[in-house]
Formats: sequence, C-alpha cells, structure tokens
Amino acid sequence: MGSAYLARRLGSAAITILLIVFVNFLLFRAMPGSPERIILRGTPNVTQERLEAARERWGLNDPVFPDQFVGFLTATASGDLGFSFVARGQTVSEVLAQRIWPTIILFGLGEIVAIVVGLALGAYSGWRRGGPLDYVGNGASLILYSTPYFLLGMILLLVFATTLGWFPSFGMLTAGATYDSVWDRLIDFLAHLALPLATVALGLIGAYAIVMRSSIIETSSDDYVTTARGMGLRDGRILRRHALPNAMLPTVTLIAINLGYVVAGAITVEVVFNWPGLGTLTVEALTARDYPVLQGVFLLLSVSVVLANLGADMIYGRLDPRVRT
Amino acid sequence: MPSPLRARALRTLAAVMLLVALLVPGSAPALAADGEPLVLRAGTDQDLQVLNPWNSVVVADFEVFTLNYDTLVGFGQDIEPVAGFAESWEQSEDGLTWTFHIRPDMLWSDGEPATAEDARWTYQLVLDGQETENGYLGEGYLDGYLTNAGVTSVEAPDAETLVVTTEFANTLLLQAYVPILPKHIWSQYTIEQIGDVTAEGFFQNNPPVVGTGPYVAVEWEPGSFIRFARNENYWGEQGAADEVIIQHFASADTMVQALRNGEIDYVRGVQADQFDALEGVEDIVTVEGFANGYTELSFNTGGNSEGYGGSTSALSDPAFRDALGYAIDKEALVEAVLAGHGEPGSTIIPPFHTRWHVEPDNPRTFDIEEAKRRLQTAGYELNGDNRLLDKEGNPITLRLTWPDSEAENGSIAPFLVEWFGQLGIQVDAAVTEEGKLIEDVTGPSGDTPGGNYDIYMWGWVGDPDPTSLLDFFRTDQIGGSSDSYYSNPQYDQWFLDQRAESDPETRAQILDDMQQLVYDEAPYHILYYDSELHAYRTDTFGGWVNQPEENGTPLFGYGPFGYTKLAAASAEPSPGPSASAGAQSPGATSGTSSPAPTGGGEEPASSGSNTILLLAGVAALVAVLAVGFVALRRRSGAQEEE
Repeated sequence: MGSAYLARRLGSAAITILLIVFVNFLLFRAMPGSPERIILRGTPNVTQERLEAARERWGLNDPVFPDQFVGFLTATASGDLGFSFVARGQTVSEVLAQRIWPTIILFGLGEIVAIVVGLALGAYSGWRRGGPLDYVGNGASLILYSTPYFLLGMILLLVFATTLGWFPSFGMLTAGATYDSVWDRLIDFLAHLALPLATVALGLIGAYAIVMRSSIIETSSDDYVTTARGMGLRDGRILRRHALPNAMLPTVTLIAINLGYVVAGAITVEVVFNWPGLGTLTVEALTARDYPVLQGVFLLLSVSVVLANLGADMIYGRLDPRVRT
Repeated sequence: MPSPLRARALRTLAAVMLLVALLVPGSAPALAADGEPLVLRAGTDQDLQVLNPWNSVVVADFEVFTLNYDTLVGFGQDIEPVAGFAESWEQSEDGLTWTFHIRPDMLWSDGEPATAEDARWTYQLVLDGQETENGYLGEGYLDGYLTNAGVTSVEAPDAETLVVTTEFANTLLLQAYVPILPKHIWSQYTIEQIGDVTAEGFFQNNPPVVGTGPYVAVEWEPGSFIRFARNENYWGEQGAADEVIIQHFASADTMVQALRNGEIDYVRGVQADQFDALEGVEDIVTVEGFANGYTELSFNTGGNSEGYGGSTSALSDPAFRDALGYAIDKEALVEAVLAGHGEPGSTIIPPFHTRWHVEPDNPRTFDIEEAKRRLQTAGYELNGDNRLLDKEGNPITLRLTWPDSEAENGSIAPFLVEWFGQLGIQVDAAVTEEGKLIEDVTGPSGDTPGGNYDIYMWGWVGDPDPTSLLDFFRTDQIGGSSDSYYSNPQYDQWFLDQRAESDPETRAQILDDMQQLVYDEAPYHILYYDSELHAYRTDTFGGWVNQPEENGTPLFGYGPFGYTKLAAASAEPSPGPSASAGAQSPGATSGTSSPAPTGGGEEPASSGSNTILLLAGVAALVAVLAVGFVALRRRSGAQEEE
C-alpha cells in the first residue's frame, strides 16, 4: 500500500475531525437562551448578579473568537471536555469512561457473532441459491434486517425474561450482588449479556447475510469461478479461496461503518435492557439536557465513525489492489 | 457432500447452543433465602446524580440523602414535624429564637458521637455559603430552607442544645429539608471543595457515606444503582429491609417488566397505560398519589404596560382572566393529557398538603356561555369579524407557549386554542426552548422589557412547607421568581403573617384567605395536579404505608418514613387502613399476598397466552415461508444452472 494513499487518507480524517470539533463548539453557543442560563438552569433564585458571576467563571465574557474557541480547542485536545451538568462533580471524560466499556463489550461481541454467523449464512445462502437454507435464511434475514432493534429486544425480553424467566431482564450485573468467585461473577455477567447480545447479533446478522448473499451471487457468475469449476476444484474450496475474498468487499465496508456505531451504543437496545452503556447515557443526557455530556458523546461518536471509515479504507486498500492508486 | 464451510457453520452453532445451555440453569433470579439479607429493590426513572447533598437537584438525589441523613426535624405521616436529629424544640416568646434539644447518646454510622455541634456546623456552612462569591452553596437548593426562614445565627451551647436565631418569626425551620452532616468528615474540606463541582479536590461524598439516617450508602454504580446497608447505630424504628437498592431504569417499560418478574419490589414513575395494566395483577399493588405540585396557565399580569412585554392590557384585568377560567375544561384535560391520572386544578396549595389545601369558595365551571357573559360584563366586545376587542379597541391575540422539556403541555395547547377561539380570542401557540423561556418570563430587569409573553404553561414543585409555593405571588419577587408579576399588598401582608404564625389553626385560616384571593384574581389558572404513579409487590415486603396517609405514596415522600414502616411479607398481614389511598385499585390492601378480587386469571395468564400466540405466529410464519418457497422452487428449479 502506497504511502501517498495512506497520507491522503490520514489527512482527510484529520481535517474531518477538526471540523467536527468546530461544529461541536458552535452548537453549544447556538442554543437559544444564553449559556449562563443553561448552566444555572436548575438553580432557584437566580438573580442578575449570579448570572454575571456565572458568565465570568465560565469565560463567557471573553470574545468568542479567538479566546473562547482557542480555549475550547486546547481543552478538547488535552481531554478536558468540561464538567457534566447532571453527574455533578464528575468530568465529562469520567462519565464517558464509565459508560464506554459496557457498550464496547456488548457491540464488540455482537459484531463478532454477527460477522461469523452472518457471513457464513449469507455466503452459504448465496452459493446454494435456491436451496432450502437460502429461502429460509433469506426470509429470516429480511425479517431481522427490517425489524427495529427495540422491537426485537422487547420480544426477546418478553419471551425469555418475563415468560420463561431464563434470563434477567435488566442491567449488566445483578445490583448489589456479592460473588463467591470470579466464575460466579462471570456467569452473572453472561446471563445479563445474553439477551442484549442476541438482539444486537440478530439485527446485524440480517444485514450482513443479505449483503453477503447478493455479493456471492454476483461473484459466482464471474468467469474465474466458472474456470475453477471447469478445472475440477471442489465447490467448497472455490467458495472459500476464490469467491469469498472478492465477495467480502462490500461487506467489509458495511462492517467498518457499523463499527463506528458501536460506540454510539445503538441507543434502543441499551435502553430496552437497561444496559449501562453510552446509549442509555445519551438518552439520559438528552432528557436532562446535560449539554457537556451530549457534546462529549457527539465528539466520541463522530471521531469513531471517522476512524472506522479510515480503517475501512485501509483494509479495503489491502484487500483490493485496484483502489490503491 | 458436506462442504467445509457448512461444517464450520454447524460447529459455531453448536458452540453457541452449548453456551446458552450453560447459562440457562444458573440464571434464574435469586430469591432471598433465610440468612441472606432482605433486600428492598426500588426502581426509578430518574438517575441519582450526586451524593453530595449540596449539589442535589432531582428527586432521586433527595431520596438518597434522606435515607443517609437525618434532618433536624423529621417528617411524619402527614408531613407534620416529628423527631429527627432533634428530639424536641421550643420557640421563644418573640418567635425569634428556636431551641432544639438534640437526642443524647446518638452515634454516627462510623461510631463517632453525633451532637449539637454537628448540627451547628452544618447550618453554619449554609450561612457561610451566603458569604461566598456565588452567594449560595452548591446548587443552591438547600440554602433556601434556612434563608427563607431568616436564620441569622446558630450556636451550640452544649452537646445537646442547638440555638437558632431568626430575623423574623416563622415556623419554617420545622420543615427544613437540610441534612445534618458529620462535622468530623466534612470539616476536612474547604467550602469550595464542598460546594463547587469544578474545584480541585471536590468532595463527592462517595460511599461508604457516614450519616445518622436508617441506611447508609455502601455502593454506587453511577447511572445504574445505589445500594444501602442498614445503619446499625440508627436511633429510631428500623424497617425490615436489611439492604435497599435504588435502581435506575432508562426505559419505563423495562422497569415495569422487572416488577412483574419480581426482580424489583417497587417502581416510581410508571406511565399511565402501564399503570392501568398493572391494576389487579397478583401480588402487585398500584398506588396513585398526589404530587406536591401542579401545572398552571400563567398570565403576564403586567400586560402591555411600561416595562412589560405583554400584547394587550386585557391581561392586567382580573375580570378578563376570571372569564377565561370558565373556558377551561380541566376535567377534559386530565382525561386527555393524563389519562385520568390527576385532579382538576383549583387553588395554589395542592391537595398534597392535606393540612393546608382548601377548595375555592366560588369555583368556576366549564361554561363557554358564562365566559362570554363575563367578558361582556367586563367591557369586552366582539367586532364584526367575531374577534374579541380589548378596551383600546384592538383585537386580542394571545401568544401561548410552554417549555420544550414539558412535552405534555404541548397536548394542552390545542384545547386552549379551541376554547379561547370560541370566545373570539386568537391564540398563537408555539413551544419555546427551556433556557430561552426562562429569559422570556423573568423580569422586568435592566433594559429588556420583562415578561416577553402573554400566557404560558409550566409547573411548580413544592416543599414540605407550602410557603415556597406562595412566594412567587409576592410583589417583592417581581424581578425574582415571580413569573406572573402579580402584585397585591393584602397578599403580601398575609404572606408575612402566615409565615410568622405558629398556631396551625390560625395559619390555616390565613392560608385559606390567600388561596381564595389568588383563585379569584387568577394570575394563574391551575390546570391540574399531576399524580405520582407508583406500584409495588406485596410478596416480599408488607407494611406499606402511604405518606401522606391520604393520597400519598409509600416511598419517595419526605424523610425515610415509608422505609422504616416496612415489614417482611412472611410476617402477619399489615393493618388495612394504611392502604386506603384515594384512587387505589379496589380491594388492594397491602401486605397480604392474596390475589386481588378483580384479578382472577388476568395478566400473568394473558401474558402467557400472548407469548404462546406470538411463538405460534412466528413458527407458523416460518413454516409458511419455507413451504411456500419450496413450492416456488419446484417451479423454477428446473431452470437453475449449477
């Protein structure tokens, strides 16, 4: 992979991130109602003196450009995203750090399961187009793909948690439980993880299977595949070694884009299962108007999407020599 | 021939199923067995934000510090003053000095002695907070309880006596929601570290929290739950729960499911439809309590006079406002907006305050014709286009707004547009962002015309003492907390009188007069009193008692009252009358786990049959798909080239 390609990609990613930070800065100040009002929103008996004092403290009396903007840039660059309005006493970085790992675990595992199962299902469906697995698999994939996450989650919750009682219905661990050993804790965690993971995985499987299937169908009619068959290579070998790598390209793009959304936490799944990740954090911050946290989440999400796309470009460049110029 | 890919897929599937099989047996929700702590699990839709009480804002924060700490004076079943940190108290002849007798031999949860010095230190902290740059401590929510009572100084002449001096006579100190903090922990921090969240070394007050309340916080997962353990050193009546967990839910649906499953015992913040669905479910009791607050329609009584941004002089006319009151069908609003879970509004002290609320002497009814008659008598005529004219001859157009944080007010707006429209008044309704709305309604101040609105809707939440709900009708508060700019010297005088009055009966009379006055002159039309919708299970805990007794809720009231009354459900059935909250589901006495009379075969069975239907439906769908496509395949199969 050429260094020019790499440099170009990195450059455009950096510029995008800078633009994102700039928009982030503008958003807070574009709100109707002065910022000091928003900061003091909950406080009773707000007098003009208190408003003035707040303006001073938060540097709102300085000119917006360059003072406030530069201050914002340097703070963001050093990881200081401000203080949460809602989780008073905690910085935004602390709040995000607390909530990011549950999301990464849930969606990371969900992605892995979905990739393995979805690609396999899609590939086999496409390769054996017209076979029984294809029709059932395709039908199921379509249904899963078009079902909103929260509906899928609620159904699983209703069936497996409420009615059958096999799994707990909320949270990441049983609140306040003490564990005799690491294994107990792990098992409790896995029990809580099962349903949200199933929801995420099923939703993604649908998407991946469909894309993979059509991609495989397309490649299976290519000349080199016909040649390979003519040469007497076994079906499975053709699929694995020749057709699959070429068919994977669109799916790789899809996976990479989805990875950007991992940290957004597909809000709905987390809310349904009360999974304490970034998704529930976003919903809470929206309801409570915790602007600094929202800004932080926005920044995090945008940067992850940019980085994920950068990753996709890199992988694509590696997989497909045609795009390296 | 099985392809390697297929084999691999099958292996993965087998692995996944094995994992699932491993999980299934070990994951049934654990029930408390003998010897294990009895845990009360309460679910709330509001997240605990901070453990430092000075920065507390939301109900969850207050509920948490109310379990950890005592207030100087406690709250009884009807929110009346009872023993708290102090056992007893007297007021001096001139009313300016309070002497509190602190309970002897009290210990903090860490074993240190709890004395009057702790109370003195805590109150002094509030007074010191007034001297800081901000002028208040933390978020400023707790200061008012002392500053509105006019506290000037506090002293502790000995370990069991606290003397508080006030600027004017009043009884507000008996309802002060200020937690008494352990001096030996908190005095290690500067006042900035206690109040200012951005200060270096800000004191978060993380668990284990040291207090004199019945429970102490021992574990906190921000965004998730907080866990309390019993305070072994508590001086008062202990509830049956060894541990309390307050769990936050992002979705009310999940919370209600968890209640149904028995994973939690109590829910606060249920939606109306879920509440209705829970009625009659076995082992679950629903309770509809009055909220300490209301939703109102406020008028800019300054109208278009100098310094005010109203659009017409009619707004300043009590007769006009009174007439409009006949064009509001409050019952319809409760039905439409709250699904029946609320009470039509009347006076400015909500029915939650069972000791002080009164109904109006001259109640209005919903009668459009009456409204028209009154408008005409007051001198408002219709012009040729059926538009109502004000006294200057201009057609009246009212701008109606509400904050974006109160979505249900948006549902009220079309009603008002319609009703007032029938009177010939055009209403332009539009939502306003919360911060901007605060700016619009505060004033007059400086150069900007105050009160840049005509009518708007918002709500107020009260304190244990009704004084805070009376404050914003005072002339003094124009430019402060007054958003209607109402001014009446008689009201102002009554306000001071009731605040200073220590005889409850005399005070009740003054409050009666004030409520009648404001009802008649109508700077606000109280639209409705919201209800708090809670529900709880009766199979783990009994002894659920409402606070206040009539139309209250067992938990999330004031003080730890409800928690201390809980008993284990395996004990004898709790006394009946405690469960007779006004709008409760029929026959739902708490404590016993006998099925509710109307409950026979309802929810559990139907949810079971719903699920079976669902499963059957899905299975049928899959089967149909498979069969259908197989049939289709037969037809086109011949053309497939392999």
